[in-house]
Amino acid sequence: MSEPGARIYDVGYRSYDGERRDPWWAVVTVALHAVQRVLGLRRSFRHKVLPGLAIVIAFLPAIVSLVLAVVLEEKLEIGDELFTYGDYYFFVMSAVALFAAFVAPEALCTDRRTGMLGMYLAGPLDRGRYLLAKAAAVTGVMLLMTLAPPLFLMSAYAVEGLGPASSELPELALRILATGLAMAALFAAVGLGVASLTTRKAVAGVAVVLLVLVPGIVAEIAIESGGAPDALSLVGLLALAGELALRVFDEPPSEDAAIGRVSTALVVAGVLAWTAVGAAVTWLSYRRIEARS
Amino acid sequence: MEPADSQAAPVARAHGVVKHYGATVALDGLDVELGRGVTGLLGSNGAGKTTLISLLLGLRRRDAGSLTVLGHDPQTAGIEVRERIGYGPEHHNLPAEVQAQDLVRHLTELHGIPPRSAIQRASDALWQVGLGEERLRPVGTMSTGQRQRVKLASAIAHDPALVLLDEPTDGLDPVQRDDMLSLIRRIGSEFGIDIVISSHHLEEVERICDAVVILDGGRVIRSGTLTELRRGEEGLLVEVDGGHDELAGRLRAAGLTVELVAESLVVVGAEPHDLVRDAIADLGLGLRRLEPRRRTLEDVYLEASG
Repeated sequence: MSEPGARIYDVGYRSYDGERRDPWWAVVTVALHAVQRVLGLRRSFRHKVLPGLAIVIAFLPAIVSLVLAVVLEEKLEIGDELFTYGDYYFFVMSAVALFAAFVAPEALCTDRRTGMLGMYLAGPLDRGRYLLAKAAAVTGVMLLMTLAPPLFLMSAYAVEGLGPASSELPELALRILATGLAMAALFAAVGLGVASLTTRKAVAGVAVVLLVLVPGIVAEIAIESGGAPDALSLVGLLALAGELALRVFDEPPSEDAAIGRVSTALVVAGVLAWTAVGAAVTWLSYRRIEARS
Repeated sequence: MEPADSQAAPVARAHGVVKHYGATVALDGLDVELGRGVTGLLGSNGAGKTTLISLLLGLRRRDAGSLTVLGHDPQTAGIEVRERIGYGPEHHNLPAEVQAQDLVRHLTELHGIPPRSAIQRASDALWQVGLGEERLRPVGTMSTGQRQRVKLASAIAHDPALVLLDEPTDGLDPVQRDDMLSLIRRIGSEFGIDIVISSHHLEEVERICDAVVILDGGRVIRSGTLTELRRGEEGLLVEVDGGHDELAGRLRAAGLTVELVAESLVVVGAEPHDLVRDAIADLGLGLRRLEPRRRTLEDVYLEASG
């Protein structure tokens, strides 16, 4: 006879007859998991350092500007003591470039090195959905850096009476949105494109740094000393992204760099071309990879 | 598209399937039906086992032929097929720093189980494979045998209709292998999940499978249930003290088929007992052993592969 209150703990294997979500949820699942991985959530402290640093670089100047505007009694001016929106993207750009080089490769390289790619592709995903999930995760985290700080800056300037009239705020927000989307897509595509070519995160990191810095420097030298056309400066990612921000916010083009003399249409085309090349490299790399089974 | 859920329907059916890798033919007009229960895919390296599993999962495209898995063509409805399949890959790589339970939960969610249920299912599956106490350990700290169990838990946690296991005992010591085989048999018989297991270990397949498909050079050279495959001319196994050649000659002259295997004679023919007894007596040989010979899977395999 069993004791009162006795329970059976081993119920054996139970089949599942509960809710099953649409296969598209697999994309959401992988994207959320990738966000956790790149931000170092549920991982040791060292995995949180670089994403944390990138976020600090993106946000800190905006917070310092706000504190100065609030604390100092004298009236500060945007463009003098305070950052213009175009200028501010220097920090945003640095943050997303750092993220693209040293954090974003985690989204792709680790899955291939650890065999998780094969596990994913043996589930309700295909290469397209897998890459969509990864791109959404990396771009989403980058949007946190490209959208939130300028929007915060806009709010702070508006509250302090420094910004544009309230009637102009929607247009300014649209400019921030356009720049943020373009910058996040650009650096996500470049980061993922490079990461798709190697299983080693460190190799991808160094490659992204070289890709971001070297072509721009070489192009600038070729233009200034070799008489190459100004359009060659479009190969410089940092200059290109920075120039895009200046043009979107109707701020004066760079005076001391060749890209300042390139038309806005070419700057936009340059950003689109870099983004498309990064996305194409990623897609083609994954078409070649045989899922291990 | 209607899935085939009929109890009698095979879980997979291939007809004339061809797959090339460049000039290499991996599958050469493969015809096979994989039925319910536990089915073993047998064959040497390069026989086409892994390629067939890839095609069943819809990870590769076939060059010719037709293939259905759970009522769908995996080439055109790969996601629908893979949603209902659990898969244990051959490789041992898994994300080292991730806890076993987190990994299984994540892969369970991937198959459409909501997060709250996925946590419970992952935990249950790890208990079922004997890793209940170890479920919070990072996978990288686990032995090869434990990682094989984690892969098995990942394959069953979302309650699939079919589980594909590629060399699930690879890298295991004899005790771990024994445990793993018992576990797979239990999943196939008690859990009601159909299993296809790829292996090149005959004794493993013979021990746990209901049916076997033997592949060689990308073709099916024999398939059927174990009972069907073992059926046939079984004959007599005869061991005598010397005089093998004389005895073999005498029996052949009497119309029997005789094969010399090591120190034994395998005698096949209609009613061979009396003829064998008389021949041994006439030659004055000492009889060590006389018994019906049972065909093993190894016999079937060797016979089929020539």
